[in-house]
Amino acid sequence: MTTATLSKSLSKPRKNREPSNLGTGIGIVIILIIWLIPTIGLLVTSFRPLSLINTTGWWTALDVNNGPETAQHPDPNAGYVEKLSTRFTIDNYVDALTGYRGTGTYLEACASGIKPLGMNCNLTDLVNPRGMGRAFINSLFVTVPSTILPILVAMFAAYAFSWMDFKGRYAIFAILVGLQVVPIQMTLVPVLRMFAGMGINGTFPAVWLFHTGFGLPYAIYMLRNSMSTLPKDLFESAYLDGADHWQVFTKIVMPLITPAIASLAIFQFLWVWNDLLVSLVFLGGSKPVMTYQISNMVTSLGAGWHLLTAAAFLSMLLPMIVFFALQKYFVRGMMAGAVKG
Amino acid sequence: MARATALPVMKQKMGVPWLYLLPALIVMTIFIVYPMVNTVGLSFQNNDGTASAATTCREGEPCWGVMENYRYALTNELNTESVQTTWQSFWTSSYGNNIKWLLVMVTGTVGIGLIFAVLVDRIKREALAKAIIFMPMAISFVGAGVIWKFVYNYGTSQVQTGILNAIITGLGFEPVAWLSKVPLNTFMLIVVGIWMWTGFCMTLLSSAIKSIPEEIIEASRIDGATNFEIFSKIQVPIIAPTIIVVITTMVINVLKLFDIVYVMTGGNFGTNVIATRMYTEMYTNAQYGRGTAIAVILILFIIPFIVMNIRRFTKQEAMR
Amino acid sequence: MKQNRIPWTILAVLLVSALVLGACAQPAAPTQEPAAPVAGDIDCTGVKTGDTLSMLYQWSGEEEAKLTAILAPWSAACGVTVTPESSRDQALLDTRVQAGTPPDVTFWNVTQLSQYKDKLVDMTTLGANAANYAGYWGEIGTIDGRWLGLPVKADVKTLIWYSPANFQAAGYTVPTTWEELDALVEKMVADGKVPWSLGMESGDATGWTGTDFIQDILLVTQGPEYVSKIIAGEIPYNDAGVKAAYEIYGKWAKDPKYTVAGAEGTLSTGFNDAILKVFSDVPEAFMVKQSGFASGTLLGTYPDKVYGVDYDFFGVPGAKGLQGGSDWLMAFNDTPAVRSLVKYLSSNKGGEMWAQIGFDLTPNATGNAAYASPEAIKKAGLLAGATGFTPDIGDSIPGGFGSAEFSGITDFVNGGDLTAILDTIAAAQADAMAQ
Repeated sequence: MTTATLSKSLSKPRKNREPSNLGTGIGIVIILIIWLIPTIGLLVTSFRPLSLINTTGWWTALDVNNGPETAQHPDPNAGYVEKLSTRFTIDNYVDALTGYRGTGTYLEACASGIKPLGMNCNLTDLVNPRGMGRAFINSLFVTVPSTILPILVAMFAAYAFSWMDFKGRYAIFAILVGLQVVPIQMTLVPVLRMFAGMGINGTFPAVWLFHTGFGLPYAIYMLRNSMSTLPKDLFESAYLDGADHWQVFTKIVMPLITPAIASLAIFQFLWVWNDLLVSLVFLGGSKPVMTYQISNMVTSLGAGWHLLTAAAFLSMLLPMIVFFALQKYFVRGMMAGAVKG
Repeated sequence: MARATALPVMKQKMGVPWLYLLPALIVMTIFIVYPMVNTVGLSFQNNDGTASAATTCREGEPCWGVMENYRYALTNELNTESVQTTWQSFWTSSYGNNIKWLLVMVTGTVGIGLIFAVLVDRIKREALAKAIIFMPMAISFVGAGVIWKFVYNYGTSQVQTGILNAIITGLGFEPVAWLSKVPLNTFMLIVVGIWMWTGFCMTLLSSAIKSIPEEIIEASRIDGATNFEIFSKIQVPIIAPTIIVVITTMVINVLKLFDIVYVMTGGNFGTNVIATRMYTEMYTNAQYGRGTAIAVILILFIIPFIVMNIRRFTKQEAMR
Repeated sequence: MKQNRIPWTILAVLLVSALVLGACAQPAAPTQEPAAPVAGDIDCTGVKTGDTLSMLYQWSGEEEAKLTAILAPWSAACGVTVTPESSRDQALLDTRVQAGTPPDVTFWNVTQLSQYKDKLVDMTTLGANAANYAGYWGEIGTIDGRWLGLPVKADVKTLIWYSPANFQAAGYTVPTTWEELDALVEKMVADGKVPWSLGMESGDATGWTGTDFIQDILLVTQGPEYVSKIIAGEIPYNDAGVKAAYEIYGKWAKDPKYTVAGAEGTLSTGFNDAILKVFSDVPEAFMVKQSGFASGTLLGTYPDKVYGVDYDFFGVPGAKGLQGGSDWLMAFNDTPAVRSLVKYLSSNKGGEMWAQIGFDLTPNATGNAAYASPEAIKKAGLLAGATGFTPDIGDSIPGGFGSAEFSGITDFVNGGDLTAILDTIAAAQADAMAQ
């Protein structure tokens, strides 16, 4: 390597390069395929009618002649595309979105002219109390504060653990690790009693508070890890410039640990978004969240489980958007740039 | 000079640290510590908390008095006829299964997550590759249960709607009942766990790798280090604190793990883990005392990892 | 450094707006107007328009839609707003009850009658009409001399589903006695055909299809009093009669000649898939023993099947009495709205509504004339003509018995030692009785 290329590579980190060799590339692709297969199965299934889901494998979805006799195209000589089109459906998504509960499908029921109970057969069904639309809003109400509050509170505590000296910090830190393993079921009854006494049972703040309490040990634990890896020089020079803890915390630490906060935010968001038990106990059925509506689509004997395939995809959309949106905080050189700035 | 305790690089007034800590401590005390202490008392009482656990002892059987629920929690799953049956039944008990989960799932998620984070670091479409590994985390568990039905489903002579058995029967073998064959079934469930949680480990490890200064890597590359040497001698030691954090978090997650087992086998066929057993005792069987005793044992499992973390904590501060 | 402020600003704005919206989402106070005391044949005494009633049940999807339809006339007449919650998570109900914030009314299993007996309101106090229920319902619903639960929904389990078309093609006839059934099974095996589809996989409840079958065999070989004595703890679960029933079941459930894919198929085939195997284009078996919901499952996958032609059922031949699942209304609070609901569901009108909507069967005898489908009429006929009715043994014995019974039968099919398994279940039974 010549001096010229060396200095170039040092000043400008190499990005967007191909995998270093073919073997690595193949390895990555194999892992990705293994990871994707189950999800692809779900995606394909979510567009198939129940009779075919139960009688044929999803990977045979393009075979237009398999399955029970009743699922066959009435004209055996029809073209491939014509046959294929009858073997896929968007009913699972429509039924999941509108919250249709019945033996047929929402579209069939509406086309027949007899409106299903509680349905109007127009766009307003998207926001009816059984549908996913309203549940989406409720889930947002639950999730956003339940993500922000614990991170906010945890940042202060993590700062104290990493850069302050006080009595009992090891003991409290040990307890902090231990608290993460406390099963949620152990705390439900006393907390519910307390909320009932305060009169906030069944309100959003009740859920926020509980998620904050349960999210804190992990949030502090993780943020302490990132804060304590910051270089000591940073703090010493700030101190020489006459800064106090508050200034160091807000001006230096907070910007520098943005990547850690971003990944913590992703996971806290996910856990709250996918939680059913806490919102069921403290919020109840009057303000249904997405997970409540999803689990509510299946009867106690498992009928309607095919709707879960569509519902699972719908509820996955927002977390994936959050993941991509926060990707920009996971890039090399964040730290270097911030220190200079 | 560095010392084993914290470094007060700045002067601080008495009590300032507590201002930073107090909000968190108050919230955690109200929502975790107080309810937990409140509930632990139940583990020394009978099923509905009306009398001491000692009253549930039955004549002619071993009894631990007020610790009776703990006796039940620890020994009920064991077949103590002989040393051999005790050993065998231990490995299909919830405790034995949790040890299998800890060993395989923590190694699997952290190992694959670390390797993958390094492999995709700086390739084109890194974000997309990471998103694919991360995706299972975003699927709510109700959805994931359906997904794995299409992998493990056991079809008989005519149709296979599970892809694994379709492959196996396609090759001319008999279909395998993945979820009811002991001890295969626990490992099949662990595969689901690894699939779900590798994205978590990868995300944290990947951002730690990205914080390694570029200069260090390039310098050793000039010194002729191979990719593997860079990985094992530079990257891994630098991100070791994060690896410990990720391992600890995964240990906690595996100890608390409930959904996968509950949804897919309900703890049947010898797949019970501590958390599903706790749930069954608490709610299905309405034995709150026994359930709480199991929960307390679960919490005690974490002690070795607390020790490990404190060691790391002191070492890290001594170094900086 | 400037760019890093943006996410914080966004977070702050989101937090504030969520707090504001959350505060606005509180419901407005309801207007209080007394409703007409008796609206038509629905008794609304004491109820004020705008009263609310909280309700927790395990039904969801289609089931929930049916319940809503059944309650609609009552809530419209009395002006009661129902705030329903649906969950099968026992943790939710338990947590609510223990924390002292139970729902006004819950529809749950028979076990909870004894579990919550100290907290439930007497049905007589609430004005339930006992005259509309057969005597055995009162016996099951009475704990320590108090009538604590109103049976609202029943499901006959003692049924065998088959395809008349397949039976006819193979020259088989529906058996009328247990001996005929046994002979038919042997004949099918001799013909090289598989008689049963016994799959019992059901996630956390795996095993219930098997224990249902055991209980039906007990109704044939021993009769309903025997089953009641097991529930009461007077006959231990490791009694010879129980053991014989397991042996009959095991002969079928473990052998690939008798059931689809033998023991492995029994353990690993989902109970819904097991139903489908009898009705597929090339049937894998001839019979499936399953409760009343089986037709719903098969119509979901094979919507063109016709009742009486492609599918039908017969009661387990020789069974003295029936086994059934039942759901019970339990009241934790005594309010006018709860009273009017209990009166409505136990009234003639309530029974007719339940039957018309066709949410399984109603134990309310006035519903018997109101069923719409021939299938429901036949099931209701079986229930009405039953000499005895036994609830599920596993559901009726509290404590760890139910889960011990489930894991016992899976162990048994898996090749475990029957005597040891029954001893374990009997220990759980004794444990429950001691408490």
